[in-house]
Amino acid sequence: MIRGRVVGEVWATRKAPGLTGRRLLIVGVDGQDRAMVAIDTLDAREGEAVMVSVGSGARNVLVPGPDNRALLCDAAISLIVDGEG
Amino acid sequence: MILGRVVGEVWATKKHSALDGRKLLVIEPYLWYAPSHEVAHLVAVDAVGAGVGEDVIVCMGDPARRSLGTTSMPIEAAVCAIVDRLELARDRGARPLTFVGGRAPEHDSV
Repeated sequence: MIRGRVVGEVWATRKAPGLTGRRLLIVGVDGQDRAMVAIDTLDAREGEAVMVSVGSGARNVLVPGPDNRALLCDAAISLIVDGEG
Repeated sequence: MILGRVVGEVWATKKHSALDGRKLLVIEPYLWYAPSHEVAHLVAVDAVGAGVGEDVIVCMGDPARRSLGTTSMPIEAAVCAIVDRLELARDRGARPLTFVGGRAPEHDSV
């Protein structure tokens, strides 16, 4: 997983099947000047620290496997950080 | 996923049979997070009907390869959405985001 912070949002009407109705957030990667587009299922808000699952595991955040292979998703927010010690 | 702009299309007669009937788009990435995405152009298979000039979201890697009904697609990028609007927080934290080619989407629409 990659740690980051929600810095924006993307709206898209035309999406691949399986992504309909999903929110797309821009997550800035911690410690870098880079960002990714990640699918949000947890209702993350702007400014919140999140962890993003990337790669083929990201599909499991949207739909439990193994019947999720058709999902075009390689990044999904899998947790919102409350605190860490 | 990463963001990019469709700048062209590729036609090919001789190609892998799994690519038959697939539209291949040339994309200039402008927001990405992994060094492997740092390319001037990439070619992605089109899953949504995108056209030249549109900003798109590109899914990379294994999900792209499996998504079109077969596991044997010789691709690693697929267009999964067409951007209507993009908003970035005014305060993006300590580090400003880097966009390629001066395409920082400061405006509500890109």
